[in-house]
Amino acid sequence: MAAWVKGGATDADAAVEAAATLLASARTPIVAGLCAELSAVRAAYHLADLIGASVDPVAGPALYAELGPLSRTGAMLTTPAETLGRADAVLIVGNAPWERAIVQEIAESVPTRGRAAGAERTLLSLGGTRNGATRHVAYPAEADGLAVSVAHLRAYLKGHLSGETAYGDLAKRLSSAQYGVVLYDPEELGELGVEMLQGMVKDLNEVTRFFALSVSDPYQGRALLQLSAWTTGQAPRVGFGRHVPEHDPWRFDSARQIAAGEADAALWLASLPAPRPDWLGTLPSIAIVGEGSPEATGDAAEIVIAVGVPGESAGGSVWNDRRATITYAPASGQATALTAAGVLAAIQDRLVQKKGASC
Amino acid sequence: MSTLTLRQEPPERLDFLNVNPLSLSGLSEADAAKLPVGTSRRGLTLGDCYTISLDGSESLVIEGGSSRLDRVGASLDGGSIRVVGDVGQRLGAGMRNGSLTVTGSAGPFAGSGATGGTITVEGDAGDHAGGAVYAAKAGLDGATLIIRGTAGDHLGDRMRRGLILVGSAGAHAGARMIAGTIAAVSLGDHPGFGMRRGTILAGATGTVTPSFVETGTHDLVFLRLLARSLRPLSPAHADLAAGALKRYSGDLATLGKGELWVSAA
Repeated sequence: MAAWVKGGATDADAAVEAAATLLASARTPIVAGLCAELSAVRAAYHLADLIGASVDPVAGPALYAELGPLSRTGAMLTTPAETLGRADAVLIVGNAPWERAIVQEIAESVPTRGRAAGAERTLLSLGGTRNGATRHVAYPAEADGLAVSVAHLRAYLKGHLSGETAYGDLAKRLSSAQYGVVLYDPEELGELGVEMLQGMVKDLNEVTRFFALSVSDPYQGRALLQLSAWTTGQAPRVGFGRHVPEHDPWRFDSARQIAAGEADAALWLASLPAPRPDWLGTLPSIAIVGEGSPEATGDAAEIVIAVGVPGESAGGSVWNDRRATITYAPASGQATALTAAGVLAAIQDRLVQKKGASC
Repeated sequence: MSTLTLRQEPPERLDFLNVNPLSLSGLSEADAAKLPVGTSRRGLTLGDCYTISLDGSESLVIEGGSSRLDRVGASLDGGSIRVVGDVGQRLGAGMRNGSLTVTGSAGPFAGSGATGGTITVEGDAGDHAGGAVYAAKAGLDGATLIIRGTAGDHLGDRMRRGLILVGSAGAHAGARMIAGTIAAVSLGDHPGFGMRRGTILAGATGTVTPSFVETGTHDLVFLRLLARSLRPLSPAHADLAAGALKRYSGDLATLGKGELWVSAA
């Protein structure tokens, strides 16, 4: 374990004291990143509540691309296990899903239960890879992007457009599936595209069974979304400035806040790997990062504290992509004494002590 | 006429939801100064940021705006507010009646959910002007939103009723539109993406999505009526409606009852 204050190595207690001092004097602090085990994310929300900070996870863009349509029009979703067990047609939209292990699992299995049991599985792609590693039928995307491509396809599915075209052929294949699934990455597809895709899935359910399966973001977004909901009753981007959790995805976008000069201190939490934000170090910042990560150095922020990495040097509840739920990941090696949740709780305790002393 | 005069740039975002002619009419200047407008733990009040002069009238002038001034005129139900300067997000959100004028520029979500009255932005507007905020069912919902300058992307996103008149706007204007009318000198790419019903009139557009189809040129009584209704607000937009237009029908990916009119000149 290691800690630095203003570039100089120090012990954890001194770093915690410095962090508490920095946050105590901030007018509009932000707590960002939150790519961590759930106990740490929970501690981060509690700390944000205490200091009146706003919260913005690094998984925000992926989460809100999905949450926007979900909050307005709903969604028809399935799980990886149901896809593997039942689907006789799987449409993969875009490039990003091809990097996930589930694509290979889908390609190497056939439906074993439900109405398509025993049938062949057809793998289709829209605007995705054309590599020869996985057998699939490829349909090119429109030059204007995936969302426009999905809209064009949906117009064929609804019968509003017709003709012997590639999208007309794809529409026929989807309609004739017994149990279809469309796999997509919400961040790649974007909010408008996700809503159009969900509308297409609902249209398909007029004639067959069809569901959507979105790949999860790699930054613990799905886990923290649940924690945010049960802790604040809101989606993740909330502010505690007025003593109640206010949800506002635009106002509490941390990159926007910092660019506009609205934030005067930041706490970056990433005990798991996450892309380092451009703004880290440009304003008074605290970085609580996984030990051994590139950010675990004295120059990453004004105060840096290296903590245990869940699944490696610490145990913790994290998102399990394959099971589509939160599961506990024990430490695979020797556990470190310093956890992200412990550090955040210590900062909170020091802040409470400071507040009590000032009364 | 009541006046609020900005002392200096606010140190944080301010929320003006409860600062309007009606809410100020029953207050003394000392009481008005105690209205909370801050959004941080510091508990900023109106008197911390503005010099206050009240006369109980239905007109309020805010001398000195800021891009940090959120929800100016939100839920306004009568009277008028004039801001000399800029405003932040959600200008006139949920407004029901009255008049709201900004001499500078507005942030995102201007006129979101506004059901009545007139909102005028003499400068530019940010993204989602007349568009729906997170989880809202509709954007502009019956009010009139006039933007003399340029609007950002997603103008009128999920708009349900009313009129948006704009100089130019970015991509995805009228996306997911439920109904209503947008008139613009020019629009960016993919106007009307996912629209169900409604009318978009534009002098020029960027790329039109392939789920819109051109249905030819028409001489409809509706267009003459539209031109007549636009003329008092903007002769340039009225001339656009009165000129030769190509009609596109869409978005065929959804209900397909929307129409996009683009100048044929």
